[in-house]
Amino acid sequence: MKKLFSIMVMLILMFPILAGGNSEDESIVTIWHSNSGSIGTAFDEIVDNFNETVGKEKGIEIEAIYQGAANDVLTKVKAAAAANVSSLPDIAQLDATAALDMMNSDYLVLPETLGVDTSLVMESAIESLMSERGLLAVPFNASSLLFYYNKTLFDSLGLSAPETIDDFAAIAPLLGEKAADGTITRYAFAGVPTTYELGAFIGAQNGLSYFVNNENGHTGTPTKVLFEEEGTFAEFLVHWKNLYDTGYVSNITSGISTEFAAGRTATMLASSSNLSTVLNTVGDRFEVGTAFVPKTNDEATGGVNIGGGAMFAFTDNENVRTVLEYLISEGVQLEWAEKTGYMPVNTGLSDNDEYLAFLDSNPQFKVAMEQTEVSNPKLTGVWLPSAYQIYYSFQTEIRNVTEGGKPIDKAVHDMAAIVQQALDDYAEQNII
Amino acid sequence: MNIFRKLPNVNKEKNIRAYLFLLPALLLAVLFSFIPLAKSFIGSFLTISQSGKVLGFAGLGNYISLFKNQAFLSSIANTARFTVFFLPLNTLITLAAAALTRKKRRYTAISEFIFMTPMAFSLSALALIFKELFRGRVSVINRLTGLSLEWLDQSGPAMAVLVILGLFLDFALDYILLLSAFRGTDKSIIEAAEIDGASGGKLFFLIELPSIKNILSITIFMALKDAVLISAPVMVLTEGGPFRSTETVMYFYYLEAFRSGNRAVENTIAVLMVVFSSILMSLISRRRRDV
Repeated sequence: MKKLFSIMVMLILMFPILAGGNSEDESIVTIWHSNSGSIGTAFDEIVDNFNETVGKEKGIEIEAIYQGAANDVLTKVKAAAAANVSSLPDIAQLDATAALDMMNSDYLVLPETLGVDTSLVMESAIESLMSERGLLAVPFNASSLLFYYNKTLFDSLGLSAPETIDDFAAIAPLLGEKAADGTITRYAFAGVPTTYELGAFIGAQNGLSYFVNNENGHTGTPTKVLFEEEGTFAEFLVHWKNLYDTGYVSNITSGISTEFAAGRTATMLASSSNLSTVLNTVGDRFEVGTAFVPKTNDEATGGVNIGGGAMFAFTDNENVRTVLEYLISEGVQLEWAEKTGYMPVNTGLSDNDEYLAFLDSNPQFKVAMEQTEVSNPKLTGVWLPSAYQIYYSFQTEIRNVTEGGKPIDKAVHDMAAIVQQALDDYAEQNII
Repeated sequence: MNIFRKLPNVNKEKNIRAYLFLLPALLLAVLFSFIPLAKSFIGSFLTISQSGKVLGFAGLGNYISLFKNQAFLSSIANTARFTVFFLPLNTLITLAAAALTRKKRRYTAISEFIFMTPMAFSLSALALIFKELFRGRVSVINRLTGLSLEWLDQSGPAMAVLVILGLFLDFALDYILLLSAFRGTDKSIIEAAEIDGASGGKLFFLIELPSIKNILSITIFMALKDAVLISAPVMVLTEGGPFRSTETVMYFYYLEAFRSGNRAVENTIAVLMVVFSSILMSLISRRRRDV
């Protein structure tokens, strides 16, 4: 009797090990997403709306699961795929840092395979996810880099947003403010550019420049660093150091929008998707202006690339296709854009009266769209392995140059070596 | 079976039952600790793709490239820097708090309550609160202290905030252990010492402190373990920033293994950390035998 009892205890304790694995039910489409706060609420509304209308008709239910920030979703997708492909969600919302891993994965289901109609999706959003395998995912939340400035301050000084970094350097001393004891109470700019910002600062040079070969990794896994031999990073650093040397640039890497909202920096660079949040935080303390990202030099005419997120599919069935097409439909994209500040990816909206009226009453939102329209669609985000580490290395080298007086050539060389090492490691571990 | 014969004075049936009860735990340990460790050890000498395919034999190549990696080396330096500040401060502060409140008096319950409450908060909640308190130049802490530091944007202050957070996280448990050790000390020893004329500092340093040194060494080694393995507070508070100055070994491991899927780094660090911990453990057990 006692023996039987101990065996039972043993079995009960072992149960959690043996249990697990999820049942496959095609009528439920699981989406792992990264939308939180007001953006999360907007996403939930879109999902609820689907479940009550289209979903009900066709017997499909979206199950939306928040999995943290975009890179957290990627971490979990990779872990799920490594463990067991059946534990993957049907769809995951990921950003550009995921692209390289997804391109080289065997579990990704391409929109083309699913038969998703993407004819109405704007060109630059398509290009941003175009790879050697074709379109990797369906663009959903598109955004771009945007220059935010304290319009009240600029107006009071009779200034307009700078067009180039050199223009910016010329007005920086006017924008900044020093207390009597010499401490700076307001900076002209706060932040240290990194991969995202350099996408514009390097990418826009000479009409179109790439960080790495194979068109920034879009036509094949990148194998070679280009920003050193093409001199684009050095060119940026020359102008940026010039701006920094005015003494009114604060090299901070966190809490930048807080500083901006507190009026402690006159400008900042941030994603257009932050616009709603920034406007809310600033409130009526001052008027927020948005403008095109300052150009590195006069020849840097490429503009900015599309960032943000896209829906990557891992299940090939009709229901997944229905959900994806719903998410990029005109109505959903309109609602999504109005509530979040993301750029709508559906070109059908360009002559939609409701959307045009929205832009007219919210001119700050309009700038992002205009900037994208004049940008080179071939200017795409860079796809790199070890994206996170490289992100920090860029900041470190820029700080070394601006604060530490490191020679620009050496900083560029060191940075190129770091990226090249990441590319080589990736190539070694992934026979391509 | 040989293993049963070694245990004296216990009959066989009882033995079998004992092992049966141990089996689930043993199974879990083998499944989730020993097998993965063996896998990591073998894997650290191979080149493995992100999806887990073995591509070839790497020899010591993975270890060599790890030690050539500047970010890894600086993560070791960062972890060491954290430990150097954290360990003595943690020991001193918890010991002082426990020593000052060791005698049960009328109102000690209040101080005990205050000192033990940090235990009720989750790590990430505390880390997020710290992040808000120290955020930017207009931070709450700057307002309160009159300082104007950009705490989380300068290497030194960011490390200081991490140390303070670490102290906060470990304080309650260490305090409880030390306090109960003080209170659990045999009163007759203390009374005997008092009769012999010991009092004040002498009584504390020569009688009371030595009698809790067992527990004290446990708290020190626990703190050492926490310092060496620190990663979650870094993840929430600084994400390794600014400029990777608070990136610890285990956070570096997380980035490479889970974010980048770099199997070479994943396996080599796992093996190195186990080796390092084993050395630490053997030091502890040697010390414990002395006591």
